[in-house]
Amino acid sequence: MKSIEWGYLIINYLFLGGLSAGLFFVSAVATFLHNGDGRHQRIARWGALLAPWPVALGSLLLIFDLGNWYRFYKLFLHFRWISPMSIGSWLLMLFTLLALAYAYSWLNDGERASLLAHVPQRLTALRTCLRDLSGHRRTLAALGLPLAVGVGIYTGVLLGAVQSRPFWNTNLVAQLFLFSALSTGCAGLMFAFAFSRQPMAAAELRMLYLLDICFLTLEFFVVLPYLVHSQLSVEAVRQSMHLILGGPFTFVFWVFFLWFGLLLPLGIEVGEVMPALLSKSGLHARKWLVGATAVLILSGGFLLRYVFVFAGQMSAFK
Amino acid sequence: MAKKPRRFAIVIDSKKCINCKACNVACRAQNNVPLAHSRNWMNEETRGTFPKLLAAFEPEQCHHCEHPACVRVCPTGASYQRPDGIVAINDSDCVGCRYCVIACPYDARFFREDRGVVEKCDLCARRIDRGEVPACVETCPGKVRTFGDSNDANGQVAQLLATRQYRVKKAEAGTGPQLYYLL
Repeated sequence: MKSIEWGYLIINYLFLGGLSAGLFFVSAVATFLHNGDGRHQRIARWGALLAPWPVALGSLLLIFDLGNWYRFYKLFLHFRWISPMSIGSWLLMLFTLLALAYAYSWLNDGERASLLAHVPQRLTALRTCLRDLSGHRRTLAALGLPLAVGVGIYTGVLLGAVQSRPFWNTNLVAQLFLFSALSTGCAGLMFAFAFSRQPMAAAELRMLYLLDICFLTLEFFVVLPYLVHSQLSVEAVRQSMHLILGGPFTFVFWVFFLWFGLLLPLGIEVGEVMPALLSKSGLHARKWLVGATAVLILSGGFLLRYVFVFAGQMSAFK
Repeated sequence: MAKKPRRFAIVIDSKKCINCKACNVACRAQNNVPLAHSRNWMNEETRGTFPKLLAAFEPEQCHHCEHPACVRVCPTGASYQRPDGIVAINDSDCVGCRYCVIACPYDARFFREDRGVVEKCDLCARRIDRGEVPACVETCPGKVRTFGDSNDANGQVAQLLATRQYRVKKAEAGTGPQLYYLL
């Protein structure tokens, strides 16, 4: 009997890493598209301020999942380009550091001064580092963008590169995880806006909806060939697909992930944004609907990882 | 002509196996394997209905693959392949991520909770380095396993592979297994 080695700590980490990658990506896009005019500044700023924390928490979960957590530093004593986990460890570290610097660059003068007030005087090196980086936002966004895409895609590569698990062993898993990660980033911002006291601007919501429609559509058009290709593949792959086609994960995959986590929120977003686009009228921001859509997408992103992590480990060559 | 490097392999004649599990006990004693796990194990199959039935026993362990997936995925290089083909783990570099356990098509690796590291059959590498054979090979009363250098044309392993029909398991996984089962 095949043992399940990776459980909820890993599932949560894959979700949180993807969420951070998505938050950074959306924030960086907003920084590039609307620098100066301030129209989408809140997306850029909130995305930047939120991005480092899920991945930092996820990395902690990852470390505590290790058999010898205190040996985690050994991951950084080696770089093995043929091991997706080795590449991923370095990507995670670089991305987290850059996301922290990027978040710092989005602090305003008052926030920066209050942060500096908490740093002891004797830590002069750190105090020197904490200078105004707001002029370097675009540079940090440009440097972080490939790292964010890397973190988003590598979690899928981590699973897809395992040749002995037919459920995982396709390049489509990498793309699936990437688009899901970017979509959860949008949803994270939608969730934050929906539950903030400040009113939501129509232009902000439109940008998040449009971006997310792109990501969810791309995700759907990866799920579709993944399912079709599996049926046209070798026997081991067809057998492994039984896990979501009649097996234990069928209901979670089709109903909770595909319907409630992908198609329903995609439908809501298209339904909300299309009339506004066609009639050039403003988008009515209904906070409860934005919040509900965000929760559906975030749940879908989590369940995708839940299904793939468990089902993949249960699949094997016979 | 330059001599080929040693390449250790095991040839298994399952038909000789009587399922006494002495190989399992010997491995456990030699390598201090906890009861919850095994470095080698027995696949048992029964077919048909009484009185026309068949019971087949087939010992298995790490296949010491030519292209080991476990070594490829290891992030720290703790899992490695010796020049003689033995796939082993450097305990002190293993962080316990279990990626190799998942990557092995034969489920030949296990996570040892008490030590936080992954373990597997290393063909009793220390015994081999002393010129001995693995404990499972030495102890088998039916001589089911034949251990040796598959690159030594005059050796038993090469002779068996040249003269007998055999199969390897899960060749489609593409790892080049070196555990040969005689037909």
